[in-house]
Amino acid sequence: MYCVKCGVKLQEGVGCCPLCGTPVWNPDDQVARRENYPCEYPDKPYNERIPGLAFATVIIAALCLSCLIACLRTYGSMAWSGYVILGTAVFYVIILLPRWFRHPHPMIFVPVSFAAVCGCLLYICQRSGGHWFWSFAFPSVMLVGLLTTGAVALYRYIRRHRLIITGGVLMAIGAASMLVELFEDLTFHTGMFNWSLYSATAFGIFGLFLLLAGIIRPLREHLEKKFFL
Amino acid sequence: MKKQWMPLDNAALIFPAVRRQTWVNVFRMAVTLPDDVDPAILQRAVNDLKPRFPSIYVRLGAGLFWYFLEEVSAPPKVRRDYAYPLTHMGARELRTCCFRVLYYKNRIAVEFFHSLADGNGGAVFMKTLAARYITLRYGAEIPAENGVLDIGVPPSQSELEDSFQRSSGEFTMSRAEDTAYRLRGTPELSGFLHLTTGIVHTPDLLSAAHQYHATVTAFICAVMAEVIIGIQAEKVPLRRQKPVKITIPVNLRTIFGGDTLRNFVAVINQGVDPRLGPYTLDELCREFTHQMAVEITPQKMAARVAANVKPQNKAVMRGAPLFVKNAAMRMVYSFVGESKGCLNVSNLGQVKLPKSMMPFVRRFEFIIGVQYSYPNNCSIASCGDVTCINMIRNIEEPELERRFFSRLVELGIPVSIESNYKHEIEA
Repeated sequence: MYCVKCGVKLQEGVGCCPLCGTPVWNPDDQVARRENYPCEYPDKPYNERIPGLAFATVIIAALCLSCLIACLRTYGSMAWSGYVILGTAVFYVIILLPRWFRHPHPMIFVPVSFAAVCGCLLYICQRSGGHWFWSFAFPSVMLVGLLTTGAVALYRYIRRHRLIITGGVLMAIGAASMLVELFEDLTFHTGMFNWSLYSATAFGIFGLFLLLAGIIRPLREHLEKKFFL
Repeated sequence: MKKQWMPLDNAALIFPAVRRQTWVNVFRMAVTLPDDVDPAILQRAVNDLKPRFPSIYVRLGAGLFWYFLEEVSAPPKVRRDYAYPLTHMGARELRTCCFRVLYYKNRIAVEFFHSLADGNGGAVFMKTLAARYITLRYGAEIPAENGVLDIGVPPSQSELEDSFQRSSGEFTMSRAEDTAYRLRGTPELSGFLHLTTGIVHTPDLLSAAHQYHATVTAFICAVMAEVIIGIQAEKVPLRRQKPVKITIPVNLRTIFGGDTLRNFVAVINQGVDPRLGPYTLDELCREFTHQMAVEITPQKMAARVAANVKPQNKAVMRGAPLFVKNAAMRMVYSFVGESKGCLNVSNLGQVKLPKSMMPFVRRFEFIIGVQYSYPNNCSIASCGDVTCINMIRNIEEPELERRFFSRLVELGIPVSIESNYKHEIEA
C-alpha cells in the first residue's frame, strides 16, 4: 500500500499517510494495523522546582512571622513588620509564584504582579495617612501595568515587525510619562511639564525613529549593516 | 557493600548542566525480535549484565564541584514502552538510574541518558543484552564477537576510560562559526515526540550514494540539506537566509582507536550557504564529502577535543562550585552548542552481529532525541539489508520528513514508512 502523494510505502492497515495526511482507502485491505507503539502515555513529569520553592516558601513565611511576633511583643502592634510582610509578598508574587507552574503565562502573571504592587502601595498609603493612592499611585501603576501587559502581548504573539512594535511601545512610554506627571500634579500640585516633557520628547523621537526604520526598508537595511553584532 | 563511582567523561559533563525541566539529552537503541518479549526473561538478562557494564548501571549524583556516576544497588525494572520514544527522564529518575529498559510486543528498547555512553557504547550494551535474552529465551549459543561482550569476563580498564583525555591535542580549535538556519514549527506542548521511521533496502541506499560518489552519511546529509534549503527558500527572503548546516557526530574510536564504552564522539557542523547560489544534489554531495574529508582528520579532531578538554582541566574551572560550572556550560552551550546546525544526522553505520544472532534480529534501531532548540533530528542504523532512518520531532508539522522521504523516493530509493501516529492513538 503506497501513499499516492508521497510515493512511500505505508504500513498495512493505516488510515492515512503520516507524512502528508492523505487518507488511505483500500477496500481489499482488511488487515488490522500492527501498532508500533502502545497507547499508554507516561505520567506528566513533575515540576522539579517544587521542593526548592516549598523550602523557600517556608523560610520566607517563617521570617515574616518572626518579624510580626517581634513587633507585636515590642510595640504591641504590627509597626514596621507590615511593610516587611507586604514587601516580601510582592517579591514572592513577582519572582517565585510563576515558578510554581511549568508554563507560567505572562499575560496572567504580569497583571497579577502589578496588582500586588498596587496592594502594597495602598497599605503604605493607609498606614502613613496619605491621600496619594487613588489619585496618583493607583492610576500610575495601572497605566504602567497596562503598557507592560500590552507590550508583552505584542512581543509574544506577533513575531514580525519587531522594530515597529518597539517604536510604538517607546512612544507610548513617552506619552504615559506625561500622564504620570499629570497625576502627580493633580495630587501634589507640583505643576506640569517639569520632567515629563524631556522623557516624552526623548522616547517619542527614538520611538518614531524605530517606527520609521521598521516601515522604510532601505533605512532598516542600512541600520542592520551598520549595527550588526 | 561500598558502591563504585566514577567521574563523568569530558563529553558527558555538558548533559547534566544543560538539562531542562522539559528536555534532557537521551537516545534509544532497539532490537526487534521474532516473537513477543517475555518481561521475566528480559529482567533476568538485564540483571545478568550488571557486573559487565559498571559504567552503564549507574545513577547521576551531584558533588560540590562535579557531577558523578555511582553504581546502582539494583538493576532497573523492565517496563512496558510508552506511546512515544524517549519520554522525559526527570531529575528523580536520573538520581535513581540513568537508563531504562522497555519492551513492547516483539521489541526490546534501551534508553540511555547521554552522559553514560554514546551511540557506539549504547549499541554494544544493546547487542549484549539482546544476545543474553536470546540465549535465555531460545537457548542459542552466541559467541562474544562483533560487539557482543562476554558477560563472564570482568570489564577492562580501557572500556571504562575517559578517552578524551588521551586524544586531546596541544592546541585548541576555535568554536566560532556562522549561525545556521533554524527549523521551526508548532510545538507539541504535551511533550509528545513524533517518530517517523523510513525503512530502506541498504543496497538501494548504497548504490544511490555511490552514484553520487558519496558515503551514505554524506548522501543523507546532502539530501537533508537540499530539503532544508527548499524550506528556507519558501519562508525567508534570500538576503535574510542563513547557512544550512548539519551537525554530524564523529566516532573518535575510528580515528584514535580504543574500545571505551563511554562517550567518545565529537561533532562537526557541515553545510552550505544558500545565498551563494543554488546547489544541485550532485554539488551538495561533493560539498559534504569534501568538507567531511577535510574536517575529519586526527589533527583537527584532536584540536576540537582539546577545545573541550582544556577548560575542564583548568584549575579555576576545577575549583569552581558546580552551580557556577553549570551556568557557564549552559551559556557556552546556548551560544555554540545548538545554534550552529539545523539538525543532527547521526549515522551509527552498519551494525554487525554474530552470525548465530542474525536469525533472531528483525531490525536494529537507533533513535536520538530532539535537542533543546532543534525541533527535528535524524538517526540512521543499518543491520543486515535493512536501514532504518528515524526522524524525530517535537513539532506538529511533518514537513521535513515528508520532503526528505519523498525526495528519497524521487531518487529511486523505495521507502517504507512507519510512525507512532499521535492523532490516531488519542482518538
